[in-house]
Formats: sequence, C-alpha cells, structure tokens
Amino acid sequence: MRKLLSGNEAIAQGASEAGVLFAAAYPGTPSTEILETIARQGDIQVQWAPNEKVAYEVACGVALGGGRALVAMKHVGVNVAADPLFSSSYSGVNGGLVLVSADDPAMHSSQNEQDNRHLARASKIPVLEPSDSQEARDFLLMAFDISEGLDTPVMLRVTTRICHSKSPVVLDANAVSRPRAIRPYRRSMSKNVLLPVHARRRHEIVEVRLKRLSQLGESARELNRIHWGDRTIGIVTSGVAYQYVLEAMPQASILKLGLTYPLPVDLVRKFAGGVDELYVVEELDPFLEGEIRALGLRPVGKEVFPATGELDPDKVAAAFGTELGREAVEAVDEQLPARPPVLCAGCGHRAVFYTLAKMGLVVTGDIGCYSLGTLPPLLAMDSCMCMGASVGMAQGMEISLRAAADERRVVGVIGDSTFVHSGITGLVNVVYNGGASTLLILDNGTTAMTGHQDHPGTGVTASGEKTHRLDFAALCRAVGVRRVREMDPYDMDRLEAALNEELAADEPSVIICRAPCRLVERAPLGHPAEMEIDCPGCGACLELGCPAIEELDGRSVIDPAVCTGCGLCVQICPFCGLKVDTIRRDPVPV
Amino acid sequence: MKNVFLTGVGGHGVLKLSGILAEAALTAGFDVRKSEVHGMSQRGGSVVSQVRYGNRVHSPVIPAGKADALISLELLEALRTLPCLRPEGVLLVNEQRITPAPLGTIRVPYPENVRELCEDRVEIAVFVPALDMARDLGNERAANVVMAGAFSNFAPEISIEVWVHTIEAAFRPEHRELNLNAFRAGQSFAAIDREPPR
Repeated sequence: MRKLLSGNEAIAQGASEAGVLFAAAYPGTPSTEILETIARQGDIQVQWAPNEKVAYEVACGVALGGGRALVAMKHVGVNVAADPLFSSSYSGVNGGLVLVSADDPAMHSSQNEQDNRHLARASKIPVLEPSDSQEARDFLLMAFDISEGLDTPVMLRVTTRICHSKSPVVLDANAVSRPRAIRPYRRSMSKNVLLPVHARRRHEIVEVRLKRLSQLGESARELNRIHWGDRTIGIVTSGVAYQYVLEAMPQASILKLGLTYPLPVDLVRKFAGGVDELYVVEELDPFLEGEIRALGLRPVGKEVFPATGELDPDKVAAAFGTELGREAVEAVDEQLPARPPVLCAGCGHRAVFYTLAKMGLVVTGDIGCYSLGTLPPLLAMDSCMCMGASVGMAQGMEISLRAAADERRVVGVIGDSTFVHSGITGLVNVVYNGGASTLLILDNGTTAMTGHQDHPGTGVTASGEKTHRLDFAALCRAVGVRRVREMDPYDMDRLEAALNEELAADEPSVIICRAPCRLVERAPLGHPAEMEIDCPGCGACLELGCPAIEELDGRSVIDPAVCTGCGLCVQICPFCGLKVDTIRRDPVPV
Repeated sequence: MKNVFLTGVGGHGVLKLSGILAEAALTAGFDVRKSEVHGMSQRGGSVVSQVRYGNRVHSPVIPAGKADALISLELLEALRTLPCLRPEGVLLVNEQRITPAPLGTIRVPYPENVRELCEDRVEIAVFVPALDMARDLGNERAANVVMAGAFSNFAPEISIEVWVHTIEAAFRPEHRELNLNAFRAGQSFAAIDREPPR
C-alpha cells in the first residue's frame, strides 16, 4: 500500500515501526508535526518539553534505561540541547536514541540557516540525511539499529523541503507497531558518570566508534550508493539536493550519500577515480566538500553552487551551464502590494505593540508571533535574536543606555511558551544582579506561531491530558520580582499607565498581558466595530495594521466578516467615529 | 509529468486543495510530490504549494516556467506567481479579491486590471467566481473545491471517479455533499467556459 506522507509524518510512522517507547520535542518549524503525528498515533509516550535541552535529557534517561527514544527539534533547538548532546556522545546509549534535527535552509520560519551537520561532527555522532519521505521512514529505522549497534546517539538531519513535502511511502499492510522489549539496564559508572577519569577513556572509544561508522558507510548500500552514468561528470550529493540533481543532471554519475558523517572515504575515492570531473551538490555549507577536500581531492562545489538559501533544480542546472525552463510567462511590470503574514484581527499583541510604539520605548523582543510587531505599521521592536533573549538583552541595554546617559526606556517582550522555554533564567539574573528591567509576558495561552501546541503554562499535555498549570505570576514572585501584575492588554490607556509606573520603578517588574490567541478562542470579542460618521480619512486606525480595516477611496472601512470587535480602533479614532458594542471579555484583576 | 502550482492567501484553503490534488494523483496511480511551506500560513500571508505527478517524479519543487497549470484562490496572488507558468500553461483563478493589510505609509495600490494583465500573458485563463458559487451552495469555504472541479477539466489523466473518491475521503461526512457539489459546479463552469484541451 502506498500512502502520501510528509517527511514529518513518515518519521512518525517510522517511530511506531521502530518500537519507540518515548518521544519528546519542543515545537519549532519545520519539525513540529513529528511529535504531533506521533501523539495522534497514540502508541508512543509523548511529551512537549519546556525546551529542547530538557527534551533531549529525558530521552537520554529513557535510552539509558533501555527504551528507544526519539527527540525532534528545529535546527536552532539543537543549540539549546547541545550540552547534553555532546556529552551523551561519550556515554553512548542502551536503548536507541535518535535526534531529529530539522534544518531550515532559506529561513522560511527561522532566524538563521545553520547547517547542523557541523554539530553532529563536532559532537562526533553519525548523521543520516534522507532525500524523501520513504527514506525519512527507512533511515529512522536504520538510525535506531545503528544507535544500538554502535552505542551512539544518531542525528537524522532533515530540511524544510523534506519535512513539509509529501511523497509516497510504501507501507506493509500487515505491519503493526511492535512494542520493543526494553533492554535491561545495568549500572556502568565508567560509561555513564562522566568524571574526567571516565570521560578520557570514553573519548578513546568515541574515536574508534567513528572509524567503525565510516566502515559501515562504505558497505551499507541502502545508505550510500553509486549510480554510474556519464563518467565525464560525477556528483556527490545528499538530502533533497539529490532529487534536484536527478532532475537537472539525470545523465551524470552520482554518489548518493545517506550517511554523510562520518564520510565513507574509500567509496568517495572510488567514485572520484571513476569520473573525469568531481562535483559536490549540497545545500548550505560546504560540509561534504570540506571532508572530500581533506582527502586531497579537488571537487567543484561552493564556487558554483550557492551556500545560502535552498537549492532547486534551476540553481543546480544553472551551475552546470544548462537551463531547465523554457520561456516562462512574462511577469507584470508594475509593483504589486506585498502580502506578508500579519497579526490576526483581534490579536492582543497588536494592543501591546501599538502602545509600545506610541510610547517610543526600546523593545527587546523574542521568538513568536509577536515578532510580527516588527513589521509596518507597528515597527515596534529593536531586537529579536533567539528564544528567551528578550530578558537578558533588556537588562543589558539598560546597562549601556544608563552609561551613555541615554534616557530612552527599555522593555523586554516575551511570549508565554518562550518564557517557559528560556526566559526564566534571564529573569532570575535580573533580580540577582540588581537590574530594574520591565518585562512583558504576552500570555496567549498557547505556542501560537508553530500551530498551537500546549506547554506547561496551558495545563494540558501533548497527549491532551490535564496537568498542573504553571502560574506565571507566582513563578515571577518566587524568583524575587515584587512588582508583578496581570492585565488585559486591550485597554490601551491602562496598559500605558501600567508601563509608565513599572518603568519608573527602580526594581524589576513583570506585566503579564492575558489575551487568548484568536485562532484558538474563536468566539468574537464583541460585535464588529461600526463607523458612525463620514470618515474623514485621517488614517489613525490604519496604524494598527489590522486586517479588518481597509482604506477605500481615502476612507477607512471595517470588514465585519473579519472584525472581532476587539475595540482597539475605537480607542484610537480621534473623531470618535467608530463604535463597538459590549466587549465580551472576562475582566482580569489588576 | 504534470506540474501544478497553487497559490492563495493563508487560511483560505490552498493547502487543503493541493492535498486533494496530490491524493487524487496518487489514487490515479501516479508517483507524486507535493511541496508547501507552512509556518505562518494561518496569518494571512501569501501561501504557495506545488504538486507534481507522473510516472516518476524527483524534485518536489517545480523548475521556473515549467508549471502546466497555475491555480490561484485570489486575484493578486495569481498575478504575483504568473512566471511559474509555461507559455501554453493553464491559469485558473478564483475571482476573489483580498486586500493585503495596510503596510504603513508606502501603500502600493491593489491592481485593478488583474484579469486583463493575466489574459494578455496567458493563452488559457479561466476566471471562476468560486467564492460566489460556494456561497450559493451553502459555505464559501468550499471555494477551493470549486477550483478543483474547474481544474479537473484540464487533467483528463485523473478520472472523475478518482476525484469523487478523494473528496469523499478528504472531508467529514457532514461536509461531503457540499464539497462534491462544489466540485461538480466548478467542473461544469470551466467546461462551459472553455473547450478542454486535447
């Protein structure tokens, strides 16, 4: 039976077939659907972890205890998990341990496009790179066998085009997910207690393991194989780039690598010796190219193929001096209006960013939907770097601005899920080191940007069960913040007054803005706003960047089908021409 | 091999439509690749998806200028993605206009003559009032399936039985009839509007 699966769904399918006991993740595009699909399958214990480091550590414990464990995260998540990753390489596993790293070339939804094969090499673990959904499923099964066979964590490295592209996967209609026997746990301190005296010995073992992995890559044809074609051009490739090569250069000889680290040295030499000119086609960094150059070979690589963004069949063909496209339909000359994603109609973040912009504050931002507060017309963010950075950067900015006698005021802005992920330690630091930062926690009750996953602050687990709900206000007080208030951000005058008070205080403060995500809480906030006067077209309400307000012939027009009745436009209309009916929101105590 | 490029605005059913097309192609016995990028797809941004099917497909991405059909669920997005089409390719557009949210002071006006601009450049351009048709059938969210019906006239390699089976499998029982009606409405609209190609 063939089934059309995305790479992420195929990985989830493979996890069931591999008898995985436990899977954990923190949501992050393009990896999120892996755990969501596993959770729906219902045969594996699943956890949304507070962050990737915790996810990886729980998985390490499962593997040490003898069960098979899978951890999935986006590329930058592996940075967060890097500490346990690097050391788990020394300890090895008991039950198999596979880390799925979902890289995002072209940064469709990311802040950088790092190539995580470097992290696998630096931590000395093998990397498997599937090139379609079938391989995503097959390679995951192989990854668990390699993990247990060679006593190592294994990285399955996928990219957005693998994760989010669908292709047929052959399923065995009779296959049932088999719960795999848990391997017995025996205490081994020399292996699992990484004291220096033990770790020195373990490092020796890791180096031997790399040699054995390289030998595996020489002979495992299901992973690494040569298609001999026209021998004037030989192409080494991996991942989705392999598909582009098949499309752009179908006649060439190809060395298709599935196990890309450690490199199968003899296979590469044999291939190079059989072709006139050697090329390496890979997305992002010259990773294979560097490894191949280290053998003394001279492949053509990044001097003709871009090191930034995604590859595609056109780019591959162009580098070989050919063209795939015939003449295409001509583009239009005129400039077309852009259509970037926007904050939804009725989103509570809009109230916050409109107020921050109005107050002229320096805003250290964070990762989530609210990074859309950067776009025009709101233009209300100074920085957005990585998960949790808003808190530390707010404190740091204050240090510099104070030293420069610059009177601009700084506020940190972070979402609920991001705060749990890695904002808490930053807040501990503010208190401990005598900072006076003001932090806004925008609590919309979900991990919104990645598609509404639960987290410790929602009180619901990945399998949909009720659990303890983290109380943000109590947590902030517990770390030593005395000025903590919770409020409804839709009342912008009150929000502004609260910000003025907290920014004036010479001690740390937190304002928790409660506004459930509009894509989750779909019930309208009120009746749609109505225009009561002949709109003079001052454009004030357009500065909200609300998708429900359109400018037509110099007047503002509200689309009642889109308007949620949040009332923000009513608050800022200088002619009081807009009105909105009772706003149905539970008052939040201040 | 057939290459179909699909576009529209986030939250309006582009990905559901490309999913139906990909499943139909698979059921019809073809190798299939479907590609999409979703991250912020519900936040009203431009969304594109690509479906390729044939005896053997490799790349999930269609080379520039090699799309055989472009299906757009919105007027402006059709204009934006026109260069994906080969000159003899088919353009199918839902005649819905969704104004992008105002972007600060530099406001580029919504083009008024989308239809003309498209018809000047493409030989076969079919404009379908899919939103109105879907609304008449009971739910405007079925506009994407109206477009699937319109496209079916240009995909003789996928039988109507396969389409019907795929649509039935793609929706909950209570939505099946609406979507089958939407498909048939789109199918007859485009069949009347244009002679199907050989």
